[in-house]
Amino acid sequence: MEAKEQSMQAQEQKQLIMRVAQHRDRQAFGALFKLFSPKIRAFGVQRLGQQGLAMDLLQETMTTVWTKAHLFNADKGAVSTWVFTIMRNQCFDMLRKVQHNREDAFGDDIWPLFEDVESGDGMSDHKMSDKLLENMDKLPPLQRQIVQGVYLQELSQQELAERLGIPIGTVKSRLRLGLEKLRSYLEKHHD
Amino acid sequence: MIKYHPSDALLQAHVAGELPLSMSIAVSAHCEMCQVCQDKVHKMNAAFAQETLEAEACTETDLCEFNFDSMLEDIMSKPTAPQEVTPDAMVEVNGEQYKLPKAFRHQLQDSWSGIGKVNRMRFDTAENKARASLLHIGAGGEIPAHTHKGQEITLLLSGDFCDEYNEYHPGDFIVMSSEHEHSPRTNSGCLCYTVVDAPLYFTKGITKLLNPIGELIY
Ligand SMILES: [Zn+2]
Repeated sequence: MEAKEQSMQAQEQKQLIMRVAQHRDRQAFGALFKLFSPKIRAFGVQRLGQQGLAMDLLQETMTTVWTKAHLFNADKGAVSTWVFTIMRNQCFDMLRKVQHNREDAFGDDIWPLFEDVESGDGMSDHKMSDKLLENMDKLPPLQRQIVQGVYLQELSQQELAERLGIPIGTVKSRLRLGLEKLRSYLEKHHD
Repeated sequence: MIKYHPSDALLQAHVAGELPLSMSIAVSAHCEMCQVCQDKVHKMNAAFAQETLEAEACTETDLCEFNFDSMLEDIMSKPTAPQEVTPDAMVEVNGEQYKLPKAFRHQLQDSWSGIGKVNRMRFDTAENKARASLLHIGAGGEIPAHTHKGQEITLLLSGDFCDEYNEYHPGDFIVMSSEHEHSPRTNSGCLCYTVVDAPLYFTKGITKLLNPIGELIY
């Protein structure tokens, strides 16, 4: 029963944010504002200890909701999760200012928002996807040997260097070249 | 395979935004490298958001009566924001380039300092006690045997290191509070993020492991 009510609420909020996103619907935004503002202010008072700062938090948070509604991605979570993320991140930065007198904005680095786009390929060395490995056979043999050793046999770079009788620097550079090549295959594949 | 994770209590504090910058970076970076913790944090985040924001009707009278019209007007006069493209956190040390988790984006300084195979980049977090830095140890590097008294967190970002007791892999989130003597070393070289003198209460209940990196080099 309660869960049903919650998902009803969540559905309604999703409708509202869509209306803001697609039509800059002021009434829908007003409804969201009414819905979230008491809680945001309460959170602000609790964390920041001042009514004035809590009002700043409210204004900043809801401004982001208004200006970025079109970037909200319903596949990634509920509206409340998105608004909470914006609020918590903003509050983190405000707290840094209050406590350490620092004007920095690190919140969104630490808790990335839904809509963040990677400038690179979105893949880092520690997260080799299966997709990437599909193209393994296309690699030149010397690079393939290293990439397979590291990612499929889980050998350390030092172990590989010893087994193959080559310097560790060579292992590193072949690995780097191999990974770059795999990524470029993947990018072409996507185009 | 990542074997060492932050405790659930630490993840929860992270989600709530209660950790200081130095620790937030450590947990965030671990989660970017660790699917298990990423999934946990995703769930905690949704649950905490629900708890914090899914409200019953407004009950505070002063708030209900407050006139928000001018704030609303002000907000709705703003244009839509463009989608931001965020730069990667890239760092270079000893001729090697590393792509770091997003949490490091705005923390990286220009300069490394160090002797021999050990290089350090100190972050300016403005925290009173905790000291945060990136630490790079070149291939074959070793830290002389030492003890450590304070709490210390090490997140292995790249490469390998081991000590007499354990072998660590990229992504491992290692909490140390031991006074044991040991001498950590790395075969292929490694890059770590470390926080020393992290406030104790944040790390209570986390598996205690031995300290791999000495106080000597901080
Ligand atoms: Zn983990």
